[in-house]
Amino acid sequence: MKVDIAKYYPIIPVFAAYAVMFLIGSKMSGMWELIAMLAFYCALGQAFNIFLGMTGYVDFGYVAFLGVGTYGMALGITRLSNVEGLGIGIVIIGFLMAGGMSTLLSLAVGAVALRLRGAYFAIATIGVNEGFRYLIEGARLWNGSEGIIFIAEMNQIFGREAASAMFTFWADVFVLIIAALAALVTLHFMRSKIGYALTALREDEDAAKVMGINVTKYKIIAFIASAIFAGSLGAAAWALKTPYVFPPEVFEIHYTIEAIIIVLLGGAGTLLGPVIGGLIYGISKYYLAIILPGFQLLIFAPIIILIIVLFPEGIVGMLKNRIRGKALERYII
Amino acid sequence: MIFEQLAGNLIQGLVLGAIYGMATMGLSLIFGVLRVVNVGHGAFIMVGAFIALILFNVLGIIPILAIPVALVVGLALGFIFYYSALRKLIDAPELASLLATFSMGVMLEEIVKLIFGSEFRGYNWAVGKITLSMTVLPMTKLYACIGSVLIAILLYLWFNKTRAGTAMRSVVEDSEGAGVCGVNVGAVYALSFALGIGLTVVSGVLLTMFIPVGINPYMGGALTLKAFVIAVLGGLASPYGAFFGGLVFGLVENGSYTLFALIPGVEPFALTRFFSFVMLLLILLIRPTGLLRAK
Repeated sequence: MKVDIAKYYPIIPVFAAYAVMFLIGSKMSGMWELIAMLAFYCALGQAFNIFLGMTGYVDFGYVAFLGVGTYGMALGITRLSNVEGLGIGIVIIGFLMAGGMSTLLSLAVGAVALRLRGAYFAIATIGVNEGFRYLIEGARLWNGSEGIIFIAEMNQIFGREAASAMFTFWADVFVLIIAALAALVTLHFMRSKIGYALTALREDEDAAKVMGINVTKYKIIAFIASAIFAGSLGAAAWALKTPYVFPPEVFEIHYTIEAIIIVLLGGAGTLLGPVIGGLIYGISKYYLAIILPGFQLLIFAPIIILIIVLFPEGIVGMLKNRIRGKALERYII
Repeated sequence: MIFEQLAGNLIQGLVLGAIYGMATMGLSLIFGVLRVVNVGHGAFIMVGAFIALILFNVLGIIPILAIPVALVVGLALGFIFYYSALRKLIDAPELASLLATFSMGVMLEEIVKLIFGSEFRGYNWAVGKITLSMTVLPMTKLYACIGSVLIAILLYLWFNKTRAGTAMRSVVEDSEGAGVCGVNVGAVYALSFALGIGLTVVSGVLLTMFIPVGINPYMGGALTLKAFVIAVLGGLASPYGAFFGGLVFGLVENGSYTLFALIPGVEPFALTRFFSFVMLLLILLIRPTGLLRAK
């Protein structure tokens, strides 16, 4: 079997963008904080795009996967902190737990919610997110509403200095890696049977079914892949960066909304879209908070409405139409 | 006594449930006609709450008289939002209208925050109370309950006895067919959205008559989620179903709280919320047309 390398050319601009971000952050002093935030938004968009962009299903409770991922890492670290000789391995175990827990949740949610469509699906997923949060608080699961604080464990395992490097540098590097991996998986899906099936499903689910496509299978594949990246993102960007987890924070619906905005702004279902959307959203949020503190949302809300009405395809979606038939088409999808 | 306490809470739940039901009718009306889920629903309730608060605290106007003011403000907001944005999103994928209505809610919250600040406020309208053996019902709560029922009846009459109401029902049934028969579908969409928002803003006034404290620009988030559960109980697309769903929800919420409070070592408030979302998922899975079969 001959692997057609040209199929994977579109990953070049995405990886280039992440590499430039890393270089700017690590070489220019004072930029790392901004880059870390941008990396988080790019990764969030890239992970969510796998499901939202490719299937057209609106998961309004997406943040739940980030939430359980955060808990996965937190539980891994707190429960294993006394085991000798794990070292950095504890972080790997934490990521595995985050991925495993988000997979389990996505299977459970998928079994219920993926039978529903459109608005019913959106409402069901909000229900799952809120329900899960209140289950943790109400039944005092995993320390309930008091949350888990594990800065002492982090210091004990890695030593004060290495733990601090984890919070301020490595956690963000992991986020960038997650974003890049999510982009790679997105492109792989796009260039394989999965992508074609999902495109058919997004355009017309009933017609796709009649054509003999096993829509349920492909929906679940996209849902689980998207959930695993979300779980890992929660583990890296929330648990490793800020070593505590509180239910109201990690199940906050605003993160889902931010993810939707990023995907829509860049162009749903495109590979480069989440990068562009994440950068624009992150940069404008960062500078608005400096220039007009307290007014960000008031400015954002009407702009979002404008974008939805005027540019429903997003930036990369429009760009794709412009460059159709030109050489650039091979690199930007 | 636990039974006395339970009975008392259930009476409170029934009164609150009528208000909940009325507060969800707008959501169901909009979904029924436009097939748009108003994710900013709670923010419109919040606007109503502020109208009641400001009229009472600043001008001394009693909340009952705030209802027509709230209706006018709500209708105006509805028409503005419909013609400025929503009109172009009716046929777009759900994503667009979900995000647009959410942004509308955020916009309202931020404007209200800008004007009034984000601290919790309340008002005190004391007009006596009824004392029962198991609970105490202030008259304001009773007024709010009666007001909700009256508005629901008026809406029913309006739907079934007026031309505009008939046109709306025809669009719910089959929007293309209605258009062919000469119904101005665009106008029906606009009117339905405006009316839905109007009802929602009015419900904000009624809600503060039940709970006259905790008024804050961000009070709507939790109310939106409750409204979703209630709307699903009623079949999502039916305003009367929503009213019925509100009664059920009020009873279940207060009843289950009383029972969860008996379990040691849990947080009954959070468990009540958890229980309501379990209910939401079960209904969606087993009976998506709602507890009453939608017409």
